[in-house]
Amino acid sequence: MVGELAGNYSTVVLMFGFAMAAMAPALVISRMVSPRKKSNPVKFLPMECGQVPTGEGRTHFMMQYYPYILMFVVFDVMAIFLYAWGSALLEIPKIATLPMMGFLAIMFGAMAFALYQSGRRRIW
Amino acid sequence: MSAIAPNFKLSEFIKSLLDNIFWVVLLVVLIGLPAIMMILFVIEMPVINGDLLTPFLALTWLADPSRILPVVKAFMATDIFKVMAFPGFGFAALIAAGTIFVERKMMAKLQLRVGPFYCGKVEGILQLMGDGLKLISKEIIIPAKADKPIFWAAPVLFVATAAAFVAFIPVAPGWVVADVELGLLGVFAVIGFFPIVTILSAWSANSKFPFIGGIRALFQMVSFEIPLILSLLGVVMLTGSLNLSEIAASQSSFPWIVFLPIGAIVFFITMLAELERIPFDLPEAESEIVAGWLTELSGMMYGLVQLGTYLKLYAFAGLFVVLFLGGWNGPMVVPPFPAELLEGVEMGPVTVGPFPGLPLFDQEMLNGALWFVLKTVAVIFFIILPRGVFPRIRVDMLLNLGWTKLIGLAFVNIFIALGLLYAGVLGPGGLQ
Repeated sequence: MVGELAGNYSTVVLMFGFAMAAMAPALVISRMVSPRKKSNPVKFLPMECGQVPTGEGRTHFMMQYYPYILMFVVFDVMAIFLYAWGSALLEIPKIATLPMMGFLAIMFGAMAFALYQSGRRRIW
Repeated sequence: MSAIAPNFKLSEFIKSLLDNIFWVVLLVVLIGLPAIMMILFVIEMPVINGDLLTPFLALTWLADPSRILPVVKAFMATDIFKVMAFPGFGFAALIAAGTIFVERKMMAKLQLRVGPFYCGKVEGILQLMGDGLKLISKEIIIPAKADKPIFWAAPVLFVATAAAFVAFIPVAPGWVVADVELGLLGVFAVIGFFPIVTILSAWSANSKFPFIGGIRALFQMVSFEIPLILSLLGVVMLTGSLNLSEIAASQSSFPWIVFLPIGAIVFFITMLAELERIPFDLPEAESEIVAGWLTELSGMMYGLVQLGTYLKLYAFAGLFVVLFLGGWNGPMVVPPFPAELLEGVEMGPVTVGPFPGLPLFDQEMLNGALWFVLKTVAVIFFIILPRGVFPRIRVDMLLNLGWTKLIGLAFVNIFIALGLLYAGVLGPGGLQ
């Protein structure tokens, strides 16, 4: 049962694998056809508009909009819960929508609070 | 002509070509043919109509259309054909290639330029092929301290993820690569892979501009995923199904954009953001951060990312068509097949045909594919149009737009769908 359900998705994996198998030769052929000259070491430096780069490329980058990422974690789960409700909406009785409205009200309150806090940049 | 390839000599080029042909023929004759014979000796060949199926017999059958056409038709029903050619990779790559060319020409017209013009004599129609040849013959430069395996794998993974997205899009009734029960959730899962591939590529390059671009792409794709998911909930509520084929079939009398225009607009805007197109092209902002997360990709790696981007564009446009514009539904415009084709034609004393399996596609499929392609091309046109019209917006404006306005409108859309359902306009007992 579960295997059958998962087996339906095998064509997606097949498509994924086919694209990889069809496109990887393009890189291999390109590597075979194209010239490879190690003329000077500057050529292999990271691009920095002509300057010789200083420091590491992978630095700690300031994520100024961090609260949005925190909100994403909550809202992604909420959106999928809403799908579980929405796809069964035609079968369930109308009274079953009321708890969902309560859930949405709580989420709206939380979202308004989070957006209000994200406006106050100083605390992040 | 300046010295593009100063050591090039036509005679040596032809000589090297002939050399290669010689070696291929030699290897095939000495190794390939004996290997085939040895394999055929071991395999027990089937007996068909009293004849032992030898390779020569198989080759003679190839010339007989009444024998080969059913084989072709049976092959077209297999998964492998669907993955490789029609609703899958080949079809999508063809539309992607067309999109690249049309976009370049259209941008040129909008900016009062000519665009690709010389390659292929007629309006630069072969420009794309020339670009492909150029890209494949360019040297791939990898930054010195890059994480090489991941850096090599990232463009291929990007194309493969876009192809997996294409797999969910139904083109005509029954013509879809992956006809799964939870198709829309599968689409969301695949969309969730794009930021991962982007950030992998950006992180492994060990360079500053790709890193900043990758972080921006992560922000943008992640924060627009919520309005994307919520704006499609209205369609799912009215349809009661997550299967994309069923959603497309449910719009036989009217497309959902008639009742859920707000959801369609929100989905279109999030689509632009997920595709990193102007006005949301912050991850590739060429005036600020060189080329964003594509900075260190050179040669064919860049070509692959470009192909993946346009495959993704086709897949998003197809998703919009399936969810809001009615998918393959449309008035029947394909004329019915002539009766001679289906029943055979009398030519004097003999009756020719009907050839078994000759209408390779039925009428509904041709009509559906035609309408789907027409609508998809129209949506692609509206996706590439803002590139010539709008400026780029700031990152705080982008996040503010996504988190406050688009999510609010998506909830308005959900309540509209709920109201339509509970007022009895749509759903069981309603219009449909």
